[in-house]
Parts: sequence; C-alpha cells; structure tokens
Amino acid sequence: MAKNSLTGERGKQDISITRIFDAPRELVWRAWTEPEHLMRWWGPKGFTTPFCEINLRVGGRYLNCMRSPQGQDYWSTGTYLEIVPLERIVCTDSFADAQGNVVPATYYGMEADIPLQMLVTVTFEDLQGKTRMTLEHAGLPAGPTSEGASAGWNESFDKLAESL
Amino acid sequence: LALLARQGLTVSGVAGHFSISRPAVSRHLRILAESGLVVVRRQGRQRYCEARLERLDEVSHWVERYRKIWEKRLDRLDEYLIELQEKEEKHGKE
Repeated sequence: MAKNSLTGERGKQDISITRIFDAPRELVWRAWTEPEHLMRWWGPKGFTTPFCEINLRVGGRYLNCMRSPQGQDYWSTGTYLEIVPLERIVCTDSFADAQGNVVPATYYGMEADIPLQMLVTVTFEDLQGKTRMTLEHAGLPAGPTSEGASAGWNESFDKLAESL
Repeated sequence: LALLARQGLTVSGVAGHFSISRPAVSRHLRILAESGLVVVRRQGRQRYCEARLERLDEVSHWVERYRKIWEKRLDRLDEYLIELQEKEEKHGKE
C-alpha cells in the first residue's frame, strides 16, 4: 500500500505527451531517426541543430548539438536501449560535451536537480495515414555519487543492450 | 508522504496507518529522508517525521522545464512534417 503511494508520487515526476501528426508513420519515424530530418526540428523555435549523429542500433549512441539564438551550444547524448522499427524507440538522454562525454546539467549552468541520465520512450501508432506519437521522459535515479551512478547505469545498459 | 503532508507524526504513528511491518515503514521513511522529502526529528524517545514538500516542487521544476522543451520541439516537428509532405507532393507533380 505504502509502496503504491510512493510510486504514485514518483509518477508525477515523469512527462508524458501524446500528439497526433498529420503524416504517415513511416515519415514520422524517419523524422526521428535520420539526422538530416532531425536537424530540421530538434531545436525549439529560434534554436538550430548544427550537429546530429545517430547510430540507430541497440547499444548505439547518438550525439546532438542544439544552438541557442545567442550562439550557446548544448550537446546531448544517449544510448539506444530498444528499437522496434516504425513502432518504438527507447533511449537514454544526458547532457554531454562536444566529445560526447556525459556531463551534469550544471555544466551548462542549469539546475543541479536535473538527473544525469533520463529515459526517453517514443512510440508511434498508425492511425489510417496519421500518426499518434507518445513521448515519455523520466529521470533515472542517481546513486550516492553522480559519477558512480553514471558508470553504474552505463554498465547495466550495456548489459541490457547485449541481452536484447 | 500524503499522510505526513497533513500533519507531522511519530514513526509508530506512521506505521499505524499501514499494514506493512514497522521495519518496512522505517525503510520507506529512510528513503524519503535521504531524498530530503521527509525530515525526522528526535524529541525525547520519539522520532517525529515531517514532510518537506517544497523539495517536491524543486524536483518538478526540471520536469516542467523539459515538458516545455518537448512541447516546443514537437510543435516544430508538426510544422516540419507538413512542410516535408508539401515538398514531396510538389515533387510528385513535377
């Protein structure tokens, strides 16, 4: 009982967004997985995406650079944990330096409470020519020291990637 | 946590509200204390627990930030997908 209420509280900390796009699922999938497409929309309005590399396989990594209107670069990286073509992508999401090393959000002067690693799950459903996309974004718990936690998570994800 | 949000309670007081064992309640409280969501104060022989919900707001702060980023990003994706299809349509006609 107590455990349920605890997970309930934690659940509030996750983001879940559902959108219906007036585009076929294959196109939405390509927009998410092909750098030349992703670079056109990844940055919010006013931002550009000057760099995007995607190694679309389980255990593969991505590295993106988002540039603010003021010219500040924000790099992010992550590892793909699950890929079901046209259906589902699960990956980690972290801030990074330009070499792709994971860095805490404070590296970019952002809040220290942003988790070092977050988990992003995107699912795509075909709605007769349209596409329903659901995005889930959740923080991953940090261990006693963030660096140790990062190494720990990376290890377990590597293992998970191998077992898939 | 919802229980403690209404009033501070002793550890036994908290345990009395749940069917799980007292050690299990203590364990949950310790996790909450480690995350800063609960403060445990010793008063004589009793241990009082109080919720620190402002910590929860802090936690949600980055969540709100990311929600906004994703909403804006997906707005752009929406526009881009329309643009892309218009282009493809044009190419198809040519």
